[in-house]
Amino acid sequence: MRWKLFANLAETAGEREVDVDVEAGATFRDALDALFETHPELREEVTDEEGNLRDHIRVLRNSQNPFVADAGYETTLEAGDELAMFPPVSGG
Amino acid sequence: MYAISVVGPDSTALVERLVGRLAVEGRVATVSNLPLAPAPGFEESVTFGGEGADVTYGLGDGWTALGHERTLGEVVDDCAPDYDYLLADGFPDARLPTVVAGDAPATTDRVVATVDAETADLDDLAAAVDATEPHETLASLVAAVKRSPDADRSGAIATFTGRVRAKDAADDARTELLEFEMYEGVAEERMATISRELEERDGVLEVRMHHRSGVIPDGEDIVFVVVLAGHRGEAFRTVSDGIDRLKAEVPIFKKEVTTDEEFWVHDRS
Repeated sequence: MRWKLFANLAETAGEREVDVDVEAGATFRDALDALFETHPELREEVTDEEGNLRDHIRVLRNSQNPFVADAGYETTLEAGDELAMFPPVSGG
Repeated sequence: MYAISVVGPDSTALVERLVGRLAVEGRVATVSNLPLAPAPGFEESVTFGGEGADVTYGLGDGWTALGHERTLGEVVDDCAPDYDYLLADGFPDARLPTVVAGDAPATTDRVVATVDAETADLDDLAAAVDATEPHETLASLVAAVKRSPDADRSGAIATFTGRVRAKDAADDARTELLEFEMYEGVAEERMATISRELEERDGVLEVRMHHRSGVIPDGEDIVFVVVLAGHRGEAFRTVSDGIDRLKAEVPIFKKEVTTDEEFWVHDRS
């Protein structure tokens, strides 16, 4: 499974794409944990005391928001999913 | 319009072959780098440069023009509304997606292909050209909406241009550039979705959006929204909603570099 990171999150991690060892059938939470295992410094930056994503952090799974389109942290992932994490957008 | 710089020792031979291939797909413009060679015979016979004209056109069966102070960037912008492809031959410093023809070191990080001019597969090369980010300007988007099949019902075009503002107040540290990072693929998909949704409004016929990425110096354009509509009311409303939705929904990230510091804009707003 591949994570894509953007803006300051990519700077924190020191890379824009992170491959994590998560199999199809795992949950979105598993993929998050795997990302934080590779980059513990990211966990600090994007999660609150309870380990949930801070309100301003955006995530996408195959360009859809899993908290709107799927089952949030419990979303079941499929092989080849593209996961993305970024700060508030600031285009224009 | 796709704008491509062709460089390397065999650039001219490759441009010649590639023009033939791309002309099958659409209208092609080429720009040659001729530092010492104005059109033979034209300058002496009909220009008025000595009398103070800055540009002279010769019209007839085809046309010729001669003038001063024209940059590649200006020519690319001028061609964007009317052509599908532009090939610039022999401009090593061009800020365009680049094809290297022959054995030459790359002078840019925007190389999309390095090929042998005589043996290059033109279908592969045409596909590589079509995979680059198209060069859009306000004029090219306006031209595109005017070609709408619904153009007969249109009485209004409204446009928005976002630009890099150097100062927000007289004593501001000057903004030198903005650097935009895009979620490639998803950003374009979002803009297309917003455009399609706005086109469902009554009286709105076409909506186009384009956002540049990478480094954009102060004074340059960043983003365009163009609306073709039946009447001005829905044109104005839709162009305003279009840029608001783009700024709120499309995954694009802006870093600002001023004379004093650099920072991610979302950290300050």
